[in-house]
Amino acid sequence: MKKTNILDVVSRKLSPFILLFGVYLVTFGHISPGGGFQGGVALASGLLLILLAQGPAVLKRTFSLEGISLVEVFGYGLFLLAGLAGFLWGVGFLSPILLPPRTIFILNIVIGAKVGAGITLICWHLFLEGEDSE
Amino acid sequence: MNRVFQGAVLLLFSFLLLASVLVEKEPKEYPKTYFLERGTHETGAVNLVTALYLAYRAYDTLGETIVLIGAVTGVLVLVGREK
Repeated sequence: MKKTNILDVVSRKLSPFILLFGVYLVTFGHISPGGGFQGGVALASGLLLILLAQGPAVLKRTFSLEGISLVEVFGYGLFLLAGLAGFLWGVGFLSPILLPPRTIFILNIVIGAKVGAGITLICWHLFLEGEDSE
Repeated sequence: MNRVFQGAVLLLFSFLLLASVLVEKEPKEYPKTYFLERGTHETGAVNLVTALYLAYRAYDTLGETIVLIGAVTGVLVLVGREK
């Protein structure tokens, strides 16, 4: 792929704002339109813009494949723990145990990180199939 | 003989199902009005979609995260490189 200045500059300048918008969607998911899934996909698109325009080596300076995989797996574990914690407080599985907005806030963040990591992993391996993505 | 028995059981249960549908009463309260009236108060989320998918239907969300993990696992198995 031939690399032009436009691609270089736009991807470098735009992706932090996409990541910021993703974080906003996740953290304000219980107040304004958005939420864990949408914000997670926005986060993933910010990472994928760097991955596609700058190459995997640049992205790996900040986010390693192992780290993203760990976020993916431990996100699911955290969600499960949040559900099981309901038993300790004597309420049902996945029932809110903190004051009202907080459980949703935490679960939104967990889901946002998890969906972002999952979409990034899927696209990383599918886009760079056959190339040296390691 | 076996077939006749199976048919009889099937007929019986279909009549029971039909009867239960026919005698069903109008519900006193629909979920829609319940969520609109009490959703924000009970969950603290102004965004009712988030209130639904993380509070009332958190099981559903848990299942969706399992689906995502399954998709990632499938992609890694199919196109992931061996070390």
